[in-house]
Amino acid sequence: MSDDAVKEFEEGLAKVEASFRSQLDACGDEQSLRAVNARIAGPTGELTGLLKLMPKLPGDQRKVLGQKANALKSAVSAAFDTQLLAIAKAVRDAELSGPHLDVTLPGRNERTGSLHPITRVAYEIMDVFTSLGFDIVDGPEIDLHENNFDKLGFPPDHPATDMQDSFFINAEAGQKQRSLLRTHTSTMQVREMQKRKPPLAIVAPGQVYRRDDDVTHSPMFFQLEGLLVDEGVSFAHLKGVLTRFAQRMFGDNVPVRFRPSYFPFVEPGGEVDIGCMICRGYEGTKEALARQAECRVCKASGYLEVLGCGMVHPVVFENVGYDSDKYTGFAFGLGIDRIAMLRYGISDIRWLYENDVRFLSQI
Amino acid sequence: MLASYNWLRELTGSDLSADEMAEKLTGLGLAVDAVTAFGTGLENVVIAEVRSKAPHPSKDKLTVVEVFDGTDAHTVVCGASNVPEPGGLVVLARVGASLPGGLAIAERALGGVTSRGMLCAEDEIGVGSDHDGIIVLTREDTTAKLGTPVATALSLSDSVFDIALTPNRPDCLGHLGLARELSAVMKSTGVRTTLTESFSIATVQRASGEFDAGGATFGIAIESSERCPRYAGAVVRGVTIERSPFAVRYRLHVLGVRAINNIVDATNLAVFEWGYPTHAFDLDKVRGQHIVVRVAREGETLTTLDGVRRSLQGDDVVICDGEGPVAIAGVMGGQSSEITGATRNVFIECAYFDPRSVRRTARRLGMHTDASHRFERGVDPGAVPSVLHRVAGLITSNAGGTTVKEALDVVAGKLTETKLTLRSSRIDTVLGTKVPLKEVGEILNALGFKTTPTVEGFNVSVPSWRPDVLREVDLIEEVARVRGYDKIPTEVPHVRASATGTANSIRFVRRLREQASAAGLFEAVNYGFVSMTDLSNARVSTDAVRITNPLSEDRSVMRTSLLPGLASALRRALRHQAGHAALFEVAHVFVRNAGAALPDEHVMLGILLGGARPAWLGQAGEYDFFDAKGALASVLAQWRHGVGRDGLTQGAPIVAHLHPKRCANIVLFGSVVGTIGELHPDVVSAMELVGRPIYAEMHVGELRAAIEKGDIAKARALPKFPSATRDLAVVVQEDIMASQVADTIRNASDGLIEDVQVFDVYRGENIPQHHKSLAFHIVYRDSNATLTDEKVDRAHKHVTERVSAQLSASLRS
Repeated sequence: MSDDAVKEFEEGLAKVEASFRSQLDACGDEQSLRAVNARIAGPTGELTGLLKLMPKLPGDQRKVLGQKANALKSAVSAAFDTQLLAIAKAVRDAELSGPHLDVTLPGRNERTGSLHPITRVAYEIMDVFTSLGFDIVDGPEIDLHENNFDKLGFPPDHPATDMQDSFFINAEAGQKQRSLLRTHTSTMQVREMQKRKPPLAIVAPGQVYRRDDDVTHSPMFFQLEGLLVDEGVSFAHLKGVLTRFAQRMFGDNVPVRFRPSYFPFVEPGGEVDIGCMICRGYEGTKEALARQAECRVCKASGYLEVLGCGMVHPVVFENVGYDSDKYTGFAFGLGIDRIAMLRYGISDIRWLYENDVRFLSQI
Repeated sequence: MLASYNWLRELTGSDLSADEMAEKLTGLGLAVDAVTAFGTGLENVVIAEVRSKAPHPSKDKLTVVEVFDGTDAHTVVCGASNVPEPGGLVVLARVGASLPGGLAIAERALGGVTSRGMLCAEDEIGVGSDHDGIIVLTREDTTAKLGTPVATALSLSDSVFDIALTPNRPDCLGHLGLARELSAVMKSTGVRTTLTESFSIATVQRASGEFDAGGATFGIAIESSERCPRYAGAVVRGVTIERSPFAVRYRLHVLGVRAINNIVDATNLAVFEWGYPTHAFDLDKVRGQHIVVRVAREGETLTTLDGVRRSLQGDDVVICDGEGPVAIAGVMGGQSSEITGATRNVFIECAYFDPRSVRRTARRLGMHTDASHRFERGVDPGAVPSVLHRVAGLITSNAGGTTVKEALDVVAGKLTETKLTLRSSRIDTVLGTKVPLKEVGEILNALGFKTTPTVEGFNVSVPSWRPDVLREVDLIEEVARVRGYDKIPTEVPHVRASATGTANSIRFVRRLREQASAAGLFEAVNYGFVSMTDLSNARVSTDAVRITNPLSEDRSVMRTSLLPGLASALRRALRHQAGHAALFEVAHVFVRNAGAALPDEHVMLGILLGGARPAWLGQAGEYDFFDAKGALASVLAQWRHGVGRDGLTQGAPIVAHLHPKRCANIVLFGSVVGTIGELHPDVVSAMELVGRPIYAEMHVGELRAAIEKGDIAKARALPKFPSATRDLAVVVQEDIMASQVADTIRNASDGLIEDVQVFDVYRGENIPQHHKSLAFHIVYRDSNATLTDEKVDRAHKHVTERVSAQLSASLRS
């Protein structure tokens, strides 16, 4: 009986030993591999069945046969592991050399919002000036006539006010002071200087309003006012700051040109032209000059007017209580809309205020 | 201001090209916006002589003319009625010529006669606006040989500068002023003027005077010396009213003015030369032979040259003759004393009127005339005698006649000279560069300033044509301008840091905008003004600040909410098949402030979502409340720590524009900072929207205050022991909020619950009406020990019982 058992056990082992490797190796995927492995070494597997017979073996042979059976079990397990790895590798290799993921499908949870072009340009401009040491300030869109005109040195009944045709607001009962929608952010010069003492270096962005409405004029638009007041501030400093600004904003090589102009609250006053960023004729190559000759934006002049500027008029200092002999300063103003229009190729200013999502999502 | 290159060249003796001259002017602050060339494109258009003329054999109105161009004779059929007799000079466009208007001249058969060329009218070759007849020239107009190209024969070649003149420079509203500027910058010898003085002007320093106007006495009296400090007049007798010679008409034409007659043309020419408007009256229609300058009397009227009857007021200055007003001072003359074809004697007025007074009258009457434009800006009161001489000279050379020997100049008001002190050190401080005093003196002298050296610099007398120069700094600008701004160095200053820096409020708004756009919202920028209807349709406050002079009713009040603007952007999106819009705006709203000069302005943040939600590969329905709440949470993500997912919206606000049952307050750190909800259905229909748009509005100042009040999030140690999660699904009545259930769950445990998250809402089968099933993940963790199953089960059982008991909830398995 025990001899038979031994024989049967040995035959069983031999059978498993002879076939397990080929059976496992024949499996092409993990699932069948695991199934085959279970048939051999699983709880009800062939080899597991044999191992259960161990106690019936004669004691003198049990140890030897047991070692043999355990060695076989290890071999099966090792073969299983090897084949499992081989299968995994085959799968990975197949994927690595197989068809490509369709990466053109849209991303999930895409956030497609944007800042308005005016905001974007305004922040860009502000970043340049804050890096030069200017603070950002803001103030009301409705202001006193006094802050918008009188304290800035606009003479009463002077044609200079024609340049800025104003919207007035109905006064509250009993109010004598005239108020209006500010026609420029220069009101912030008056407000800030009345609030603090020099040194003062500020930029003030914001909405302004004038009674114009056509392709190039919107009744509301955005300006940015700048002001630097200290002892010893000169026109050379004005040129330095605005040249630096133009180069940071439009490129290091952009030419900057200052020419005289007139605003009641500065003297000497000027305009700043910068090389046209559309045709870049200033690059001077044959192609660049050909582009300039065709350029509609700068009308082939090669320059665009972007800024008004000048030394703060002493009358403004006197109106806000600064010592006009001790302090000098410069001020400048620029149209944010205009720069946004140039930057993004916007040909009609009204697009900026229609808020058409088809427009907003382009830029 | 239009200026002729030829004229400026004559006055300055300059040999600059037109483009070079334009560049110089721009560099002086007299910005040339455009340069237009005249007298070009006239090849094959020549001076010719009429040899014979005869009526056309078959066509009534045509004439067959034979002209000779110095080499060849040409037969031309002409439709004009003013073909001159043989010997007359005409302008011939030969076959092959191509005229400025695009007309190509070719041989044409007209009623059996072959026309070889065309006799030109002014407008056909761009030298005038006349189309009544062909150009007929005399030997006074040109001495050129027959066959000479017309551009050469009539000196047509010119360039006209369109100068965007700033309002402070009335002196440059004439060619003399521009020439003075050019001479200063070119360091040339100055302006070449020719002024013949064929009569004498008596200047009297009193309010009235008389002069012998050639046999009769003529009186001038100024009753309003503040508004009219100076008034001068001269008389020319025996003029013949005709067309001006071609050269005069052409010069006016290039400067954009229609030639009228030889008197009016002469005054216009003087305007363009001196920048000084004068007025010519028909002397014989000046009743009483005297002029009085006074303010108008209430109820007075005057029919001006344009044929309009004007009502005058006590603030207007009028020129009166013996019976009443004949002109509005500095604005426009009257019809009754207009120069006509029958005029024989002319009274010339040259006066200085107060700029502010002229401006008020011109504005009140809505009459912005060339004269008022100049007087408003300030003409040169010192130039009165010279201008009077010049106009009289131009009239007599143009229209014949003689100027009466005496003329009168009444100076009733004060004509002050501005005297300034210029310190060399101040020039250096303001410009940031040293300018040699010698150069300063030369520049000022070239511009007509008189300088006397002092220890520090100069004492300076300002010429009468520069009303804009009032202070030392104005002189510094003159120096900087003429030297050129490019001569000033470029130096980046060391900006001293301010005590305040940029306010937190400003930096906060920027972060808010950047967060909002990163949350998937598009920024809108709307006008600050809206219509009253917009406000009432949106059911927001209509107690709005009103604009006194709006461009239209649509934009007549200041917004009290960002909703109308955002709603119109959404409407636009839905109408144009954009399908949806997810927008935000950060801007001011305006709140009336009784008893104050200025309204209150608040910065608001508005968010509006509407239309179809963009889905990933497929349709996913319309935007709803939770899209907006999610967007809001994303916008506030960096500040809402500790608030949790549920805390952002609490309680229903009382606002009219939101759906009363589908809205909430936005609460941050215990403060209500805004509202969110579906728009009220009435608002949706009134604003012509569709669906259920969701709108959130926050007061940015209050939002920031709430955030600043809230604690800064503190980092906690990460847990050492594992957590266990159990789910709980309960059926509750509809009006029980998920947050209530979550709070109940949280409060039911003894510090073992770490997190409660709702993960499902279900209504439908097996759920009673007006009920919903809410399912939660509950995360249990003991921070000091590993939880046992028994402990979790016990805690969860307790939670379950509490929820059931407190919220009348039943369990759903």
